[in-house]
Formats: sequence, structure tokens, C-alpha cells
Amino acid sequence: MRRAIVNILLILAAFTVQNCIFPLIPVLVSTPNLLLILTFSFAFMDGRRMGMVYGLLAGILLDLFYSGPFGFYTLLYVYVGYCNGSLTRYFYEDYVTIPLVLALVNELAYNLYVYVFRFLIRGRLDFLYYFRELMVPETIFTVVTTLFMYRLLLYINRKLRDFESGRDTTLV
Amino acid sequence: MESKYNRYILIAITVCCLALIAVTNFTDQWLAPLRTAVGYLVTPIQAGVNSVGVRIYDGVADYTKLRNALEENKQLKEQIAALTEENNRLTSEVFELARLRELYELDQDYLQYEKTAARVIANDSGDWFQVFRVDKGSADGIREGNNVLAGGGLVGIVTDVGAHYATVRSIIDDASRVSAMAVQSGDTCIVGGDLTLYREGRLTISNIQKDGDVKDGDRIVTSNISSSYLPGILIGYAKDITLDNNHLTSSGYLVPAAEFHNLREVLIITDVKETADPEVE
Repeated sequence: MRRAIVNILLILAAFTVQNCIFPLIPVLVSTPNLLLILTFSFAFMDGRRMGMVYGLLAGILLDLFYSGPFGFYTLLYVYVGYCNGSLTRYFYEDYVTIPLVLALVNELAYNLYVYVFRFLIRGRLDFLYYFRELMVPETIFTVVTTLFMYRLLLYINRKLRDFESGRDTTLV
Repeated sequence: MESKYNRYILIAITVCCLALIAVTNFTDQWLAPLRTAVGYLVTPIQAGVNSVGVRIYDGVADYTKLRNALEENKQLKEQIAALTEENNRLTSEVFELARLRELYELDQDYLQYEKTAARVIANDSGDWFQVFRVDKGSADGIREGNNVLAGGGLVGIVTDVGAHYATVRSIIDDASRVSAMAVQSGDTCIVGGDLTLYREGRLTISNIQKDGDVKDGDRIVTSNISSSYLPGILIGYAKDITLDNNHLTSSGYLVPAAEFHNLREVLIITDVKETADPEVE
């Protein structure tokens, strides 16, 4: 329970940082998608059910923030949570390769989703341009950020687990 | 068993989302109270984080600027001399301009509109959309459809309003279309955002009639016949106008007057264009 609350607070924090801090830094060509990193990391650690909860939260935040068809992001993030949650049996601590691959796949899927449903259907056919100028930089940034973020999240995860098990033993 | 439940939940959420997308594609009025409620919670956080971020960034920026300051100082002194001279010349030209304006009754500038200043507190995440949020809302008299200015030019239009926030879609957004006209010739055209062009600092101009006379450097302003933009607001300057393949219309590029990088303060015109009321020029 405590873990869920901390994770939800982290998602809120990531949302604010992503929208309020990153745009202020003009040297960044692109920005890492923190919300996506948190969603798939938590799903990967906690499984399908919690993955969907986190995905739902992240998606609703994004949908409420921007006008446009409501549910567009929610749908995607819930699927991100569910799919990555399915892989939770491969979750071993300190094994960073899988999360990096997940970051790559999720990020590409996210960008393709946005491209197809918001650009391609309006007749913007120059896929290679969008791929080169938007998808590739953002994916690189996200994968590199995952390298650091994932370790941080693991650390928080471990602390919380220690805290919870510690409290249980004292209660017993 | 557990996994089966999860699948049902997933299917339920999917159906809900698809239904919501379908409904809100046509109208999202009924979502406004929900958005406003969440806005009460999130906007203060965003405003706080934003101001902290601005302060830190400004601190770092100040430090790096200090190194260039001395050299810049020297250059600036030379510039002052040049500018003083230019200023003298311009002052005399201001009088001339005032006289000419009176003469041509051109004082219908957009200075006449009611404006309110607002701070940009959040941008869209990612690079796909050019949408941002400001810290003023319906409580400050802002309504959906208000035009947004910065740096002497049109920036965008308010698409969504809460009590203390408003979401603005900028004219460089890929989905933005502004009905515009050239000041000199009065030819109407459409100014559109394009994601593939905005990094070069350009927008597209299209649908200029074949016999229209729009040249490089012509001022492009919002047109009288636009349904959502007030007339006469400067958008930018025309560039590279060429005849289209269909030989009926010409198109080209527009260099916007407003600076879109690092947009921090904007002016919002609180007048809404009354389309039922014909504009009297």
C-alpha cells in the first residue's frame, strides 16, 4: 500500500517535471518521457494489475491536461502497464538489460501510436522525417534516462520493501 | 484466475477509452468541470515547480552569462553610440508616422483590444504538439477562443479554460490553421503550422489566389473573415511565395513575428470575436 502511494506520488512528480522543468532547458534537443519510464518500470516490478493502475493514472493525467479526445493517452498507458506487467516474471534486481530493451520498445510504440493516430490520419505521410527528427532523439534520451532512473527506482523499491518487512517483524 | 481477471479489466478499460475517445471527439464540454477540479489540484503544483525551475535555470544562466558580459559590454558601448544616432533619426520618424497614421486613419492597431498578461507554467510533454498552459483562467476573464500574443505577434488561441488555468494551442502546432491576409494587397490566405517546418522557424502560407500580389517580406495579419481570430493581429512576414502546381493558387512560408523558443509571458486578448456581428472597418 505504502509502495503504491509512493509510486503514485512519483508519477505526479514526473508529470510536473516533464511539463514544467524540461521545456525551460533550451539546450535539450529532445526530452526523455519520464512518465513512460515510470509506468513501464513500476509495471515490470509490480505486475499486470498494478501496471494497469499506474498506466491509468498517468494516462488520465495527460488526458485531463490537454484538450483533444479524452482517453487517447489513457488507452495507450494502460496497455503499456499491462504488457510490461506480463513480463514481471523476468524481473530480477540489478539486471538492467531488459529494462533498457523495454524502454526502447515502449518508446517506439508510444511514438508510433501518436504518429499514426494524430498525424498519419491527417495525411502527414513523411514518416522518415518524423522518425529521424522526433522519434529517434526522444528514444535515445529515454533509454539513457532509463539507465539512471531504473537504478533509482530499484533503490526506492528496495528501501520500501525493507521498511515494510521490518515493520511486519516488529509487529509480529 | 488472477490473470483472467486482469484481462477482463483491460478489456473493460479499453472499451471505456474507445467510447470516451469517440464521444469527446465531437464534444468535450461535459469534461470541463472535471478538468477544472483537477486543475485546482495540479495548477498550483505546476506553478510552484515552474517558478522554482525558472529561478534555478536563471541562476545557472546568469553565471554563464557573466563570462560573456565583459566582452559584450565593450560591444554594447559601441552599439550605444550607433543607437543614439539612430534614435535621433527614429524620433523624428515617429512624429512623421503619427502624422501619416492620422492621415490614413490607420490607428486601428490591435492596441485597442482588452488584454491581460499571463505566465506560461507548463508545456506539452514530448515534441509532437506545441501546446502550453498559462496561469490565468476563467476567473481572470479568459474564455475559450481568446487570442494569445507575445513579442508583438500572434502566438495562439485558447482551447480549454479552467478557473485558474488556460490551455493554449500555438500557431506553430501541426493542427493549427489561421485565416490571414496580406496587409499591402489585402489578399487572403491560410497560415498553417507544420511540425516539419517549425524547427526552421517557419509556418506555411497557402491558398493565395493566383492573381494575388504577395511578395517576400509582406506583413501577414489575421484576416477580417476569420471566425476565431480578431482582425489585424500581426502573424509574421511572407517568404518564398511560389505558384502552386495547379496554377490556381500560390503558397509559401511565413516567418512568425513572435519568438516561440522560451516563451514565458504572453498577453491574452479577452475580447472574443463576435462572428454574428459584421466587422466595421
